[in-house]
Amino acid sequence: MKLLELKDVTKRYGSLYALDKVSLSIDKGEWIAIMGPSGSGKSTMMNIISCMDRPTEGQVIFNGRDITKDSRKKLTEFHRDKIGLVFQQFHLINYLNAVENVMVAQYYHSMPDEKEALEALERVGLKDRAKHLPSQLSGGEQQRVCIARALINSPELILADEPTGNLDEANENIVLDLFRQLHKEGTSLIVVTHDPEVGEVAERVVRLEHGKIISDKKNNQFSE
Amino acid sequence: MFFRMITGAFRRQWKKMLMIALTVALGASIATAMLNVMLDVGDKINEELKAYGSNITVVPNSQAVMSDLYAVEETETKDEFLKEETLGEFLTIFWANNITDFAPVLDTSVNVNGNDIQLIGTWFDHHFEFKKKGTVYQRDTGIINLRSWWDITDGKWMDEAKLSGDQYAMTGRKTADMLGVSAGDRITVKSSKGTEELEIVGIFESGDDEEDCIFTTLSVAQRLSGAEGKYKKAEVSAITSPDDELAVKAAKNPDLLSGDEYDLWYCTAYVSSICFQIQEAIPEASARAVRQIADSEGKILEKTELLMALITLMSLIGATLGISNLVTSSVMERSAELALMKAVGAKNGQITFLVLTEIVLTSILGAAAGYFMGYAFAQVIGQSVFSSAIEMSGMAAFLVMVLIIAVTLVGSIPAVRMILRLRPSEVLHGGH
Amino acid sequence: MNKKQRMFLRMVLASLLRRRSRMIVALLAIVVGATILSGLGLIYYDVPRQMSAQFRSYGANVILTPSDDSYMNSISIKNAVSVFPSDKLEGYTPYRYENSKLNNLPVTLAGTDFSSVLKTSPYWHISGDLPDGNGKTLVGKKLAEKFGLTVGDGFSMLNSFQITDNTDTSALPDYEIYTDPKTGEKFCDHTLDLKVSGILETGGSEEDYIYVTLDDLSDLMLSERGCDIVEVSVAAREDELKSYLDEINKRSDTLSAKPVKRVTASESTVLSKLESLVLIVTAVVLALTMICVATTMMAVIAERRREIGLRKALGALDSSIVIEFLSEGLVLGAAGGIIGSVLGYLFADAVSMNVFSSSITFRPLLIPVAIIASVTVTGLACLIPIRSAVDVDPALVLKGE
Repeated sequence: MKLLELKDVTKRYGSLYALDKVSLSIDKGEWIAIMGPSGSGKSTMMNIISCMDRPTEGQVIFNGRDITKDSRKKLTEFHRDKIGLVFQQFHLINYLNAVENVMVAQYYHSMPDEKEALEALERVGLKDRAKHLPSQLSGGEQQRVCIARALINSPELILADEPTGNLDEANENIVLDLFRQLHKEGTSLIVVTHDPEVGEVAERVVRLEHGKIISDKKNNQFSE
Repeated sequence: MFFRMITGAFRRQWKKMLMIALTVALGASIATAMLNVMLDVGDKINEELKAYGSNITVVPNSQAVMSDLYAVEETETKDEFLKEETLGEFLTIFWANNITDFAPVLDTSVNVNGNDIQLIGTWFDHHFEFKKKGTVYQRDTGIINLRSWWDITDGKWMDEAKLSGDQYAMTGRKTADMLGVSAGDRITVKSSKGTEELEIVGIFESGDDEEDCIFTTLSVAQRLSGAEGKYKKAEVSAITSPDDELAVKAAKNPDLLSGDEYDLWYCTAYVSSICFQIQEAIPEASARAVRQIADSEGKILEKTELLMALITLMSLIGATLGISNLVTSSVMERSAELALMKAVGAKNGQITFLVLTEIVLTSILGAAAGYFMGYAFAQVIGQSVFSSAIEMSGMAAFLVMVLIIAVTLVGSIPAVRMILRLRPSEVLHGGH
Repeated sequence: MNKKQRMFLRMVLASLLRRRSRMIVALLAIVVGATILSGLGLIYYDVPRQMSAQFRSYGANVILTPSDDSYMNSISIKNAVSVFPSDKLEGYTPYRYENSKLNNLPVTLAGTDFSSVLKTSPYWHISGDLPDGNGKTLVGKKLAEKFGLTVGDGFSMLNSFQITDNTDTSALPDYEIYTDPKTGEKFCDHTLDLKVSGILETGGSEEDYIYVTLDDLSDLMLSERGCDIVEVSVAAREDELKSYLDEINKRSDTLSAKPVKRVTASESTVLSKLESLVLIVTAVVLALTMICVATTMMAVIAERRREIGLRKALGALDSSIVIEFLSEGLVLGAAGGIIGSVLGYLFADAVSMNVFSSSITFRPLLIPVAIIASVTVTGLACLIPIRSAVDVDPALVLKGE
C-alpha cells in the first residue's frame, strides 16, 4: 500500500531548479535511502516530504490525500502527527534533559507523559541517562535521544537527515541497528545520506543528481 | 590576515555588531546628555534664580561712625549719594559677565494732590553705555529683570527706548487706587526742589511696600530731589557660586587668606569676591550681599547640582551595566566560532586580541554616534526646560569616550575568561 | 493543572534556571531598567516637596497685617495661623515696631519673638548669639557701626513718654515727670537697659533696626499693644498658599493675609523649571534605558532562533511558541521589576538623604508601575525577535548556520 507519492515535483529557487519533475512513490514499511552529492536536491526533497517546504509545482500525496494545497496550519498538524524527524546536528534543546526533550515532542503533539517518554528512551538504551542534559551526553547518545523523540508519537514515517554525519563508527552502528529494529516493527523510514555504508543497509536506494532521480533500485544485499 | 579577520567579522556579523553599536550609542547618548546637563545646570538654575531679584546692593560707603556717642547734636541725617558715572564700573570688574542686571535707585519724598508719597527713580529697561580707557562697554539693564514678580495689572512695563522724554511713571496698585488714576493718566508731582508732570505707563502689584511708591525715571527723581547725576543705591544681580569654606573665610577678612587662597577666591564668582571687586572699582561704595537672596541661591544651587549629579551617576551606572552586559553576552554567543578558531590552532592571545579589537572598534563607532545623539538630547532638555542651549563641554566628551572604552573592556572580561577556558572539542560537540 | 500545563511550566522554568548565564544577562538588563524607572520616578515625585522645603530658606512667604489701623493680638494671630496645616507651617514671627531714641538719635526698635525668628528669616547672619531672653538685644550691623556697638556692650534706650490728661499715671509711679519748657507738654523719661548679644547682618533694611523681645518693648513703651506685622513661612506652592490665604481672609476681619510675591512668584517660576528639568531628564533617561533593555532582550532571544525552528519542526504552532517565549520574558520582566523597584527605592532614598537629608516618600504605586513597565518592555522586546524567528522557515534555521 502506498504511503507517499511525489508527482512531478519541482522546486525552483529563482532560476535554479533544486528539484526538477521528480516522481517517487514509497510503500508503507519501506526503508529508503536517498543519496546524492551536495546540492543534488536531497535536502529540498526531504523538506518537501516533511511538509516544512512546499513544491513550486507538482503534487505530494500522503496516504492517498493531496497535501500540496493544505493551509500552513493544517500542514503543521499533519507533519506533527505523521512524521518523526532526526537531524544531523541532533537539535536537542540544550537546557532540557533527555527525557524532557522527548516530552517536548509529546507536548506539541498531544499530552506529555513522562512514563512513555522514559519507555522511548529505554528503547534506544538510554534509560539511565534520562536526567542528563545534552551537553552531558556523547554525540551518539544525543542522536539516540533524537530518535527517541522522533518515535514518541508513533509516526507513520521517520525522516532522518544525515543521521550519522556527526557520529563515529561505533555510534553509527548503534543508530543503524535502531533503524533496523524500527523497520522490523513496520515503521517507514526515509534516510537522506551521502554515506554509502548507511545507504547499503537500506531496502531501496534512490540517487539524486542535479534535482533529478538518476537511479532507483532495490538493495540486493538487504537481508530481511 | 588580522585585518581580514576583523573586516570579515564585521561583514558576517554586522547585525550583531550593529546591535552592540546601537546599545553603546544609547548608553553614550545618556552619558553625554546627562553629563552636559549636569555640568551646565548650575548656570541655568542660577539664571532662573535671578527671578528673586538682586543679590547685591551697592550703597555709599559711610565711614560716619559716631566718634563721640554722647556729644552728638540731634540733626537731620544727611543723605549720601554715589555718582552716576560709577555705575559703569560694574561692567569693568573681573566678573562683569556674571552681572546679569543692575539698576540705580534714588528715592525721595514727593507730594501728589496733597498725599505724601515715596518716589523712586530708577532704570526700567535702560540702554547704558560707558567709556573707559578707550573701551566702550554697553548693556541693556534695569529693574524689569529685577522685579520679575511684579504683576502689571494695567498698562505695560515702561520701555525707556520707545518713550520720548523722561516724564513717565509706574505706580503701585495701592498708590493708583489712592490717587484714583489708571494707566495713561497724568499726575503732578511736587517736591521741595520742583514740580514734574508724569504720565502713568503701567500699574503693578508687587505684594510689598513698593506698591505704596511711584517709580519713575532716574533723571526725574534726580531733578525732584536736587541730586543731579547721583543715586543712592544700586541693586545688582549677579550669577554666583555657592559659598564654601573658602568663601566663608574670605567673608570674614580677605586679608587673612594666603596668596593662593586669595587668587582662588578672587577668581571664583563668590558673592563676596564680586562685592569685593565692586568696592575695588568704586572706592566710595560699599557692596553688600543681600543675604536673603544670596544664601538661598547658594543652597538651592548646591542641592540642584547634587541632585543632578546623583541622577547622572545613576544613569551612568545604568548605561555602563547595559553596555557591559550586552558585550559579555554577545561574545559568549560566539563561543562556537571562537572554539573553532582555537581548534585550528589560534592562540588565546590572538583570539582575545581579535575579539577585543572588534568590540572596541564597534564601541567607538557607537560612542561617536551616541555622542551626537546625546548632544541632541541635551539640547532638547535645554530648550524645553530653560529655552536656551546647553553648553557642550569638552570634558564630557572626553569622559564619555574613556568611559565607553573602559566599560567595553570591562564588559569583555568575563568573555575573555571564557575564551581562555574554552575547550574546542566540548563546544563543537556540545549540541548547538 | 493537567500534564500539558505542567510540562509548560517545566520548560519555562528549565529555560530560566538552566540557562543561568544568559538569564542573568537578561535579568540584569531588566533590573537596571526597573531600578532607573522606580528610582527616577520616586525622585521625580519627591523633588517638588523636597525642593519646596529648600525654598523656605528665602524666608517668610506670607505676611499678616492688621486690616484696619489697630494691631493684631496673639489670639487672632493664632487663629489665623491655625489655618495652615501644622506639617506645612515652618514658623511665624510677630513684629512690633516703635520709634525710640539711642544717644538722642531716633532709631527703630523692633519687638519680636527670637525663638521663631530664624524660622521665618533663615538667612540672618548673626555674629554673637541670638538673644535668649529679656534685656538682651540683636543690633543691625549698620546701626552697630554707626554707634560703635559690639557684642557684649550695654546701652540704654530712652522713651520720652508724653503724658496727657488721659494717661493712667498709676502705671508709671516711679518715673519722674517733667515739662517741656517750650511747649508745656508733660513727659516722663523711661529707659530700658539692654545688652548686645548679637550683631545682625542681612544686607537689607533689617540692619537699621534694634531687635528686642516683645516684653521688653512693652515695658519700654509702657503699653502692651499687639503686632504690626507677622511673618509666616509656609511650605506650600503658590496655588495652595492662595487657598489658605483666602481662608484666613474669610475667617478674620481683624487681619489680612498676603503672599510675599517676591518669594511666592519666584518660587513657582524656579520650582516649575526644576520640576520640568527632572521630568524631562527622567523621560529621556528612561526612554533610552528601555531601548537598551529591549536591545538586550532582543539579542538574548535572537540567539534562540534555532530552538524556535526546532520547536516548529516538532510541530509547534506559532502561537504556542510565542506564548512560551513570552511567558519566559514575562517571568523575567516581573522578577526584574520587583528587584528593580526595591533597588530603585534604595537608590532614591540614598539620593534624598544625600541631597536633602531626609528620606524619600515611599510610593507603593510605583512598584506595580515598575513591574508593569518592565513586563511590557520585556514582552515587546521579546515579541519582535520571536515573531521574526517564527516566520522563518524551520528548515532554513535547522539546516544552516
